[in-house]
Amino acid sequence: MTGAGEILLRAEGLRKSFGGVQAVRDISLDITGGTVFAVIGPNGAGKSTLLNLMSGIYQPDAGKLTFSGVDMIGMPSHRRVRHGLARTFQKIRLFKQLSVLENVLAGFHLHHQIPPWQYILHGAAFRRDRERCRDDAANLLAFVGLKPRAHVPAGSLSYGEQRMLEVARALATAPRLLMIDEPAAGLNAAEVEALLGRIVALRARGMTVVMVEHNMDLVMRIADRILVMDYGQHLFEGTPADVQAHPGVIAAYLGAEVR
Amino acid sequence: MLTVVLQQGINGIVVGSLYVLVALGLTLIYGVLVQINFAHADIVTVGAFVAYFVTHWLSGNYFAGIAAALAVGAVFGWLMNAAIFAPLRDRGNELLPLIATIGVSIMLQNAMLVLLGPIPYAFNTPYSNEVIRLGGTFLTVQNALIIIVSTITIVLLYAFMKFTFLGKALRAVSQDRETAGLMGINPNYVIMLTFVIASALAGMGGAMLGPVLVLTPFAGTSVIVKAFAIVIIGGFGNVEGTIIAGLIVGLIESYTTQFLDPGWIDIVVFALLLLTLAVRPTGLVAERREENV
Amino acid sequence: MSIVTSRRFWLVVAAIVIGLLPAIFTDSYWRTNLIVCAINVLLAIGLDFVLGYAGQLNLGQSAFYGIGAYASTLLITQVGVPFWVAFVAGVLLAGVAGVFLSVFAVRLRGHYLAIASLGFAVITYQVLLNWISLTQGPLGIYGIAPPPPFAIPGLPPIEFSNLASLFYLTAGFAFLVYLLLDQLVRSPVGETLTAIREDEVSAASLGVNGQKWKVFAFAVSSAVAGAGGCFYASFVGTLVPDAFFITESFSILAMVIVGGMGTLIGPVLGAILLTVLPELLRGIGDLRLIVYGVSVTLVVLFMPGGLVQAARLVAARVRRPAKVGRDP
Ligand SMILES: Nc1ncnc2c1ncn2[C@@H]1O[C@H](COP(=O)(O)OP(=O)(O)OP(=O)(O)O)[C@@H](O)[C@H]1O
Ligand SMILES: [Mg+2]
Repeated sequence: MTGAGEILLRAEGLRKSFGGVQAVRDISLDITGGTVFAVIGPNGAGKSTLLNLMSGIYQPDAGKLTFSGVDMIGMPSHRRVRHGLARTFQKIRLFKQLSVLENVLAGFHLHHQIPPWQYILHGAAFRRDRERCRDDAANLLAFVGLKPRAHVPAGSLSYGEQRMLEVARALATAPRLLMIDEPAAGLNAAEVEALLGRIVALRARGMTVVMVEHNMDLVMRIADRILVMDYGQHLFEGTPADVQAHPGVIAAYLGAEVR
Repeated sequence: MLTVVLQQGINGIVVGSLYVLVALGLTLIYGVLVQINFAHADIVTVGAFVAYFVTHWLSGNYFAGIAAALAVGAVFGWLMNAAIFAPLRDRGNELLPLIATIGVSIMLQNAMLVLLGPIPYAFNTPYSNEVIRLGGTFLTVQNALIIIVSTITIVLLYAFMKFTFLGKALRAVSQDRETAGLMGINPNYVIMLTFVIASALAGMGGAMLGPVLVLTPFAGTSVIVKAFAIVIIGGFGNVEGTIIAGLIVGLIESYTTQFLDPGWIDIVVFALLLLTLAVRPTGLVAERREENV
Repeated sequence: MSIVTSRRFWLVVAAIVIGLLPAIFTDSYWRTNLIVCAINVLLAIGLDFVLGYAGQLNLGQSAFYGIGAYASTLLITQVGVPFWVAFVAGVLLAGVAGVFLSVFAVRLRGHYLAIASLGFAVITYQVLLNWISLTQGPLGIYGIAPPPPFAIPGLPPIEFSNLASLFYLTAGFAFLVYLLLDQLVRSPVGETLTAIREDEVSAASLGVNGQKWKVFAFAVSSAVAGAGGCFYASFVGTLVPDAFFITESFSILAMVIVGGMGTLIGPVLGAILLTVLPELLRGIGDLRLIVYGVSVTLVVLFMPGGLVQAARLVAARVRRPAKVGRDP
């Protein structure tokens, strides 16, 4: 994958407020390709809003945002997917009535290789595409451990399984940068370990991962860099070791959980 | 010419204030539930017929007719919530309740058609023929009554929303149901209450529209269509916007009747609706709210 | 896959049934109903494409139906273009009207779209009623000719002045549209539309341009309704605006809901049932629309998947020990 070691995503002075609430104030960051970048901070710190700004769900009030050199400001979220940005949602947003497999298949939206007329007269190219999508989907489901559940409705999965399905669906878009919002929320210890293994595997393949997470153990073990946010502001940024050593951060946020 | 303009202005305000009564109910329901009761205007028709029969049985006691329509409207509201909206609330499909109420609307209209027939009823109240003259313009006592009663009702509703605990609870639920629940407000109770109030308003609006409308079982259709236009132009869930838009639509209606042709009323109103949607999708008055993801 | 669960098998059965129907029903009363059925099937599957798949409630079907009917008829009677040219123009015009409406409304939540489309239906009806110099208003247009004879070399020409061949024409066209939509919803287009129906934000996170696809679904749905309108005009021979009042939109909605939205076969069954049932119960006369209203309400409350869901439940019960299959 391209961009390993280079700056893949760059934000400068991002701001967003809702009515009176300044959810994100003046956040700047550089995310290096092929790394795991974690965003932590107390509830309401603006982490999800930052992710929403990066994925295009919201447009910032001010600031710049580029992804592999392309200006992202003003670009709707569905266009950003074409450039290689994918995401999961903190409040799970699966297609609940559809099967697990169908959820992943929907993720191939941008990658079909079917001549237009074959949408109506299904021919050889159509069947090849269907097979390829099914194989890829099966691989993705195997990766997140959901292959045996392919044909049940997504809404009937356990909470942890639903989070993993969101990851598989996002990966189906073949992203270069994957944003995951609290992937470990509601997971049991074994599931967290599996999740950790999967993120490591993705990074090993060159994927860049941005992760918002409250599970400090997971963050400290896996993140290459950590951004600490508080009240929408940039509090500190550094490696896990830096963060653990920073007195302000410990006081503001980590205190209770580290001890 | 000036008197014609003034006269039509008065007529417009009369009709407009009734549309406000009807549209406010839709807006209240949308505010707390983000749902549309398509049968709302059929409650208006039911209210008109109830008022008609009660007024006639009680040999001209129009106020008893209004009260009866209000009560019947309230009962219908309770029923709509209990039978349709409450069971469908957690289905997770925002269109199902709307579709179900379209079914209720078809059912009510045609049941009334079978019972009451298609021929318009002449609903004359004791006040229809008494006229007040103001300069060159005139106003029937009936119309003066409409303006007074609907103004009082709207003011009372406004005060209720602003100053009473229940009114505040209603607004809390419309802003954030979960938080309202945490504050000790039972959202189900508040939603039920909203339906009762909204539908009572519709029933009462019907009692007063009855003498103005061509009173048939299908009277509601022409009203609902304008009420929808009003709530969208005013911004769904926005009380002030609904009042302004209701009066605007009333005025459009009377001036179109005077200067163009009654057939153009709906066209003008809906052209305004589409224009609003194109320019300000959340209504003329409402502020923009972003979905919390 | 056994033969009874194969799609081809059922399509062939359907084609044979269509072929035999005019032979079974020889009186003009039932043949007329058959044609009405075919037109309603067309309208219902068109609505279902946008409602059941893309999840957008289009209450403007009556308007697109009317636009197709009036546009093709006026082109034939006023401009003198041949029937099939007028047909294509009517379909295209209805589709363009659908695009026009959806462009206003695609940025909005489902409710707003429903109301905007209802408003559009009201406007269209009022225009048909009040633009008397063009449409003759409530007096209506009379004496519309049936489609011209269709000549296949080596065979006697097919005359559409007789009800049987008119039925073959409309039912054949409805069958074709069914096939076309069925192929579409079985392709990734179906996945995309259902994704939008289920959660538009989520779909956008997968690269789906929701606005574009909603416009597309609206265009298809209204063009299909326009085709229904063209057939209606040439079959009835008379056009009055009341045939395109908003209650027509509600009737079509009832067919889709009762049959089962989100499947194509459901609306077909719903359209047939709700067209034929009131005819069988003619004694009840005015109760037709009450039946529609009651059935819509009850279906939404108790069997939101309509007839199709009911059939699946029954089938699952009948062959419980066997593996429960999906679509036929
Ligand atoms: N769409 C919105 N409308 C209004 N306010 C919003 C919206 N989205 C976020 N906020 C507000 O912005 C602030 C930051 O929210 P955000 O969801 O980004 O926090 P977070 O760091 O992700 O918190 P958590 O850890 O609880 O997920 C909060 O006060 C929240 O209420
Ligand atoms: Mg968050």
